[in-house]
Amino acid sequence: MGDVISKVVSTLITVVIAVGASAGLWVGANLVFNQVRRDWSRFNAIAYGVIGFVVGAILSGNRLTAGSGKGDGRLEEFASWVWLPLVIGIASAAVGFALSRIEDPTPRLVIGAVGLGSLGLLSGLLLREEYRPDVDIGPLVGWTVAIAAIGGGISYLRKRPPICGVLIGGAIGWILGAFGSPDLGGGSAAWAAVASLVPAAAIGVRVSMTPIPDRERKARIDQSSRAVIFLGPALLFIFATLVVPAIRTMYLSFLDNDAADFVWFDNYVDTFRDPISWDSSDWTNMFTSWPFIIGVVLLVIFVLVGTYTKRTTGKTVELGSASMAPLVIGGLFLAFGVFTALRGTIVNNLWWVVVVTAFSTGLGLAVAVLADNVKFEKVAKSVIFMPMAISLVGAAVIWRFMYVARDSTKTQTGVMNAVWVGLGKLSTGSGIPTIIVGVLVTIVFLALLMAVARALVTQSYARAVVPGVFAILLGWFVIRYWGIFGGGIGGQKINSAGVVVGDPINFVQDPPYNNFWLMVVLIWIQTGFSMVILSAAIKAVPTELIEAARVDGATPSQIFWRVTLPQISTTIGVVVTTLIVLVMKVYDIVKVMTNGNFGTQVLANDMFQQAFQFTNIGRGASLATLLFLLVLPVMIFNIRRMQKEV
Amino acid sequence: MSDTTLTRQAATARAAERQGVGGVIYGFLRNIPTWVLWLIVMVWSLPTVGLFVNSFRDRDSQRATGWWSIRPGDLTIDNYDEIFSASASTSLGDSLLNSMSIAIPATLIPIAVAAFAAYGFAWIDFPGRKWLFIGTVSLLAIPLQVALIPLLQLYVGGAHLTLPFIDKTVTIIPDFDLVGTTTAVWLTHTGFALPFAIFLLHNYMSQLPKDLFEAARIDGADHFTIFWRLVLPLSVPVLAAFAIFQFLWTWNDFLIANTMAGTNPDAIPTTILIANLAGDFGRNEHLLPAAGFVQAFVPLVVFFSLQRYFVRGILAGSVKG
Repeated sequence: MGDVISKVVSTLITVVIAVGASAGLWVGANLVFNQVRRDWSRFNAIAYGVIGFVVGAILSGNRLTAGSGKGDGRLEEFASWVWLPLVIGIASAAVGFALSRIEDPTPRLVIGAVGLGSLGLLSGLLLREEYRPDVDIGPLVGWTVAIAAIGGGISYLRKRPPICGVLIGGAIGWILGAFGSPDLGGGSAAWAAVASLVPAAAIGVRVSMTPIPDRERKARIDQSSRAVIFLGPALLFIFATLVVPAIRTMYLSFLDNDAADFVWFDNYVDTFRDPISWDSSDWTNMFTSWPFIIGVVLLVIFVLVGTYTKRTTGKTVELGSASMAPLVIGGLFLAFGVFTALRGTIVNNLWWVVVVTAFSTGLGLAVAVLADNVKFEKVAKSVIFMPMAISLVGAAVIWRFMYVARDSTKTQTGVMNAVWVGLGKLSTGSGIPTIIVGVLVTIVFLALLMAVARALVTQSYARAVVPGVFAILLGWFVIRYWGIFGGGIGGQKINSAGVVVGDPINFVQDPPYNNFWLMVVLIWIQTGFSMVILSAAIKAVPTELIEAARVDGATPSQIFWRVTLPQISTTIGVVVTTLIVLVMKVYDIVKVMTNGNFGTQVLANDMFQQAFQFTNIGRGASLATLLFLLVLPVMIFNIRRMQKEV
Repeated sequence: MSDTTLTRQAATARAAERQGVGGVIYGFLRNIPTWVLWLIVMVWSLPTVGLFVNSFRDRDSQRATGWWSIRPGDLTIDNYDEIFSASASTSLGDSLLNSMSIAIPATLIPIAVAAFAAYGFAWIDFPGRKWLFIGTVSLLAIPLQVALIPLLQLYVGGAHLTLPFIDKTVTIIPDFDLVGTTTAVWLTHTGFALPFAIFLLHNYMSQLPKDLFEAARIDGADHFTIFWRLVLPLSVPVLAAFAIFQFLWTWNDFLIANTMAGTNPDAIPTTILIANLAGDFGRNEHLLPAAGFVQAFVPLVVFFSLQRYFVRGILAGSVKG
């Protein structure tokens, strides 16, 4: 217990200190810049003082100056450390205060140059022996002139006197030339003093040249400083944890696995040559696979129906028309045909994106429509939405129990296989339950056929589509169930002794469809997401529109396809783009359920294994970059959309 | 579709609204969509119900039969006892604490930082504001994987830059030895959460009435006062929405925690513990339902008690306004 408490306490302390210090800094900065308009002298003194203190703290804190951090006892040690920052801070504050009061240029120049210059001199004299630089005139002059020229150029471009930029650039160049270029530790104290005096004096001259701001300029300083204070922390965090690492990842992707030598595009080439990430050796099997054939048949039906509807309505395909369903369903089947024949990590990723996005959006839309204004709507939606609250790891565990496959001699403990094997037993059995289920299913099948027939007789072909699709599926089921064609349906097989036994499916381990069963987990989760968003969009469709359509005699399905759906098309776009980005990064489910085995590898898991388990940094970085490139089109699309909105 | 078809369909619809046996059948057929809905709802809840039931069955019955063949006498809480007992590899208590010490700072800190930035983007005028905002928010879609390798390197050894031409290495961020700590995890979460947080809060704050700000400005209030006294209290709903969203996200995260702290058994959150249990090849499989349910318990409570805010957050994040 004591262990637990100390852990809680230490976590709390970390958080409180981190939040408190950041909040203190932030509020403090706001209070300082509040003085810009109220009391310029006070602001100037505080600002110069803080900058001076920070510079002193950097010098002294890094033990660049003599005597810092030495002393007997904590207090003395602290004093030896803190005196220099305090001296520089107070002196700078005095310079700042003087500059805020004196308007005459000449005394300003003297105060600035002498004030800051003497602080530079002091720091230079205190510099430890091992940090004193050698005199190296060549680089010194070179750096100073070069960067001063750059500074002057920038000032010129910003339509300011070039001398401002020359002074600042010269100071930076001088520091680089005097301290950066030569070896440290061999120089004299006098040269160290001169080397620090010159840039400090140059900065002093520069600050003295800026006149005391008038009211308008103070307001501008106030405004722009607020922008920095309010945005600074967030941008700094984003820069440090997203922007810079992302750029570095791209850089690392051009290096070898030890991040030592440039190999340029070798990592990418390796990825594409590796049969694990891209394997098209069985591509000819595509044309003989069932999904592909069904897809082609449906697309042929689409073309036939499309040419017919074009003659009557002038359009080959439109929302809710009879030709739409074969197009969409045929396309999905075709995708299954293609993705099961081409194998590999990249193919899997695309398969995930197509299937999960399509099913989640479609099912979400269906539930949103079905649940609209139904009794207990909230309850139904809560249940569908609930998987969103469960972690992907948890969902993977939940579905692992759904997919359990046991030897055919044992009882199935997973729901899916229990149903599948149960169905097999039912369809090959001859008892009363077999007949009851068979008769019920046949009745439903006949009812569907009647619905199709009625729609065809009344010539409203679009209404024949949904019952038609279900009738085809159920018809196949009925035929197999009664054993008219093929030997029954469900998980059963006849063993060598001629006895019918259960034949469970190993959902997680049988490629290539195990990929689909993993996708089901994500569909289970994400349907709730699209349902919530689409349901809100449907409720936001103006009632007058729907009323007007109803008055004109539109049927509910016509209202849905012609009024509601066009109204929520933007929202559907948002859902689809969000899902594409999310699914492209799929990791947790694959990691927990198969860890990429059995032909289920995806980019994110491959990247994790390469980078953190096999320490192939270059390869891992190239996979991460590839993931980024795949998401890039969506990002650009989003930016375009935001440009219009902002 | 032509007008005649429309009227014909309306006529058939009216003709169907009749009394008697036909009416009953018609009423049933009309309700088919609702039956389909409840069927979907049932299918959707089945996996979770199964997990919940199984968590109360002992190892042998879990392995022998499916959860639906449960007898009231079989119920036991032994699984829960076992996962909370202190046997080193499977104790859930420590990992629950780790999850807390990741999720709480990773929720609170981004809220504060993003609130400043969202206010800045919404109400402080400065050149390049629009592009900076679009640039920030477009990072929403960036795959986190793209930042993981350099961030791990940063936590392992700090950040150093070798200056060109001069050939001296400068330490930008010293090595704080953060790898394998919960701090590394929540720091990473904080950075990754900001684009979405700024987007969400900005959408809300920019919709606040402009008159409010002008009146305050005339009264002499500066940005700090307006933010602190006016905008923050008014934004409580959206702050709550983001807080719930972010809490669930960080509580349920696996990738970042596994990258930054997965190697240290003392710092792993619940998600990694469960993934490790699942990777044991059956040895502890009977504990998975109980552990999974405990892991999901906190987010489910948050979810069902604060669903309204959560939905609002999701909506504000995807639909403008």
